[in-house]
Amino acid sequence: MNQSYKIAGMTCAACAVSVESNIKPLDGVHNVEVNYPNQSAVIDFDEEVIHIETIQEKLKEIGYDLLLGDEVSVKKEMDQKDSNRLELLRKKLIFSAFFSIPIFVMAMFFMGKIPYENWIMLALSIPVLVWSGSEFYSIAWKKLKHFSANMDTLVALSTGTAFLFSLINTINPTLFRTDDMQHTHVYYESAVVIITLILFGRYLEEKAKSKTSSAIKNLMGLTPKKVTVIRNGEEEIISIDEIIKGELILIKPGDKIPVDAKVKKGESYIDESMISGEPIPVLKTKGNEVFAGTINQKGSLRLLATKIGKDTLLSQIIQLVEKAQSSKPKIQNLVDKIAGIFVPVVIVLAIITFSIWYVVGPEPKLIYSLISFITVLIIACPCALGLATPTALMVGIGKGAQQGILIKDGQVLETAYKIDALILDKTGTITEGKPKVTDCVWTEKEINNLYASVFLSIEKQSEHPLAEAIVNCLSKDFNEHVLESFKSITGKGTEAYYDGEKYLIGNKGLMLENLIDIPGHIQKEAERLKLEAKSVVFLSVKNRVEAIFAISDEIKVGVKKVILSLSNAGIDVYMLTGDNEKTARVIADQVGIKNVQANVLPEDKGNFVKLLQQNGKVVAMAGDGINDSHALAQSDVGIAMGSGTDIAMDSAGITLMYSDLKQIANAILLSKATMKTIKQNLFWAFVYNVIAIPIAAGVLYPKFGFLLSPMIAGAAMSMSSVSVLANSLRLRNK
Amino acid sequence: MSTYKFKTNINCGSCIKTVTPFLNELDNVDAWKVDTENPDKNLTVELDDENISSVVDAVKKAGYKIELREI
Repeated sequence: MNQSYKIAGMTCAACAVSVESNIKPLDGVHNVEVNYPNQSAVIDFDEEVIHIETIQEKLKEIGYDLLLGDEVSVKKEMDQKDSNRLELLRKKLIFSAFFSIPIFVMAMFFMGKIPYENWIMLALSIPVLVWSGSEFYSIAWKKLKHFSANMDTLVALSTGTAFLFSLINTINPTLFRTDDMQHTHVYYESAVVIITLILFGRYLEEKAKSKTSSAIKNLMGLTPKKVTVIRNGEEEIISIDEIIKGELILIKPGDKIPVDAKVKKGESYIDESMISGEPIPVLKTKGNEVFAGTINQKGSLRLLATKIGKDTLLSQIIQLVEKAQSSKPKIQNLVDKIAGIFVPVVIVLAIITFSIWYVVGPEPKLIYSLISFITVLIIACPCALGLATPTALMVGIGKGAQQGILIKDGQVLETAYKIDALILDKTGTITEGKPKVTDCVWTEKEINNLYASVFLSIEKQSEHPLAEAIVNCLSKDFNEHVLESFKSITGKGTEAYYDGEKYLIGNKGLMLENLIDIPGHIQKEAERLKLEAKSVVFLSVKNRVEAIFAISDEIKVGVKKVILSLSNAGIDVYMLTGDNEKTARVIADQVGIKNVQANVLPEDKGNFVKLLQQNGKVVAMAGDGINDSHALAQSDVGIAMGSGTDIAMDSAGITLMYSDLKQIANAILLSKATMKTIKQNLFWAFVYNVIAIPIAAGVLYPKFGFLLSPMIAGAAMSMSSVSVLANSLRLRNK
Repeated sequence: MSTYKFKTNINCGSCIKTVTPFLNELDNVDAWKVDTENPDKNLTVELDDENISSVVDAVKKAGYKIELREI
């Protein structure tokens, strides 16, 4: 067996070597390849010789944790580590604030009044720098070793400068003193308050970041932890990871479905809204499929597990969403480029600022130069820039998933909001896709039961799609008879004999050919129904038409409203259908679509998309993903209207878990809202830096005598990241 | 509903695990249990119908020996 496992606890490249060298000598292990950055290892081993649990045990001995179980639970464990990190940040923050407040008060209000004040402040700031601020220095150091820099470099550089300068002044107060200074300047308060504020910002950031992925966590929380199964005739409560394929699972009222399964016994309504968005609970009886994460209503069920672990629909959705959330829209490429050179540029700017103040600034030169140097470093943190796109994507895509809208990646969102043409397939999208008998007109006032029963029997044998609609209509009230003969006449209808009488079912042509009499009022009704774009079926016995049935594929509820809202949003809606022009027109008029293409063969759909694109349109195409895969792939945004079971539709950018036109509108709105948020975030992050850096450098000083305090800069920096996050989170409530 | 007993070589918990999906899959099987304590490894099956061969086939497909004991 050759499989990849997540391994926790590897903190350096040396750990990877240690993991490899410890597993490899084990009996039955053929090969091990550890991927350190990915925190995973591919282990090739012989299951019959060694169990993975044995390997896990071995790793535990040397201090690493091999995470077993399906991807969902592995993910949960990784989340646990995230929450530990949040807790550590919180402790560091409180610790840092505890020491910073007395330093701040001493520096602001009691300067020069307390004996040995500099030494006291030095003593108080050391714990903050050493413990709370340690990660800034250690990361900055690691980065420096690889000749790179990031935000931690900026923080380490600025607080380190402030601290070292103060330290020198404390030990040797006369070194930097000039004649016009009454006392020695120390900046312990700047160093520790900046550390506190940035920790505070990071804490809020971590907290908000975990909120941005809450949609995914909600999805993962949909499956129960414990499950009742029947094993060897006994009821047993086991953990969800222990379920095997083919297991019998007992589901009580209100229980969550643990894995994808088939109903073996019982019937109940199941709420599938969490994965499909479909609000109405669905009836499940013997043989129906049920899906992990959905909720049983009032009945009891006995299920046969068909798909477990990462194969369940829910797991697939989660994987899809996670992949999408970590993808990058084009807009981010530019941001990445800027962020990449941002830190070095800021350091250069800070040095230039220092030099200018030192050369042309007022006395005490060194103090002014240092303050502006520190302030520039602190205020120009690029993390708001880094958070702008990913957080909005996380929230937007996660929110979609909760509504049954699966978005493939960030690029799709970026295109979807530009859509100005939407192509809809008539059948299944605008209409139900299931022909139904809408009108039954009998020649006589009294319905002849015998005739109706024979008609039912004939249609039962026919394979024509319209026959199914007639069967559904008649089988409620009538029983079948055994026919003497049955013959289907291709393209026209059927002919059958019962009790020596000839029965015909088919179109008007079939009736005329057989010289069947069509009564006047029936003829008139037929004309009227035709005008409503319904298919009219004639049913005759002996020499006279006894009934006509009108069949139509009914328009879905609410379609008109959605189409109106889409056109109001500036999107041209096109309807494609294989039907004739007249029928297509009638349907289009009913729902308010102006652009109709009739007589379209499936292979022409892609060409029509191309045609619109050549006219400069950004085209979205909605289809079932099976017949339309070519057109879906050709369009700018392919929207696959799922049946709720198969989400592996590669040709589609957006997959709707259940076919409702409203979902298309929602998906487009969602992409608009997400892109708007990304742009707002980027705008504010840039504007903040463009305005804040010059002020920090002191451009307002010559005219207004205003110089930003490094502490204010720290607060502003933290708030800029937090405001970007808050803006992204706002998406959740839209 | 009728109960049937089979003699099998379903020896241990792991064999039961192997056989489980095959027996659960059957529509006519209402409940089943293997008594691994008994040297004959009796499989007791409650069937909705009389289709004994479906059980025999399923167990054989899972890779075990099976023969009907008593009715």
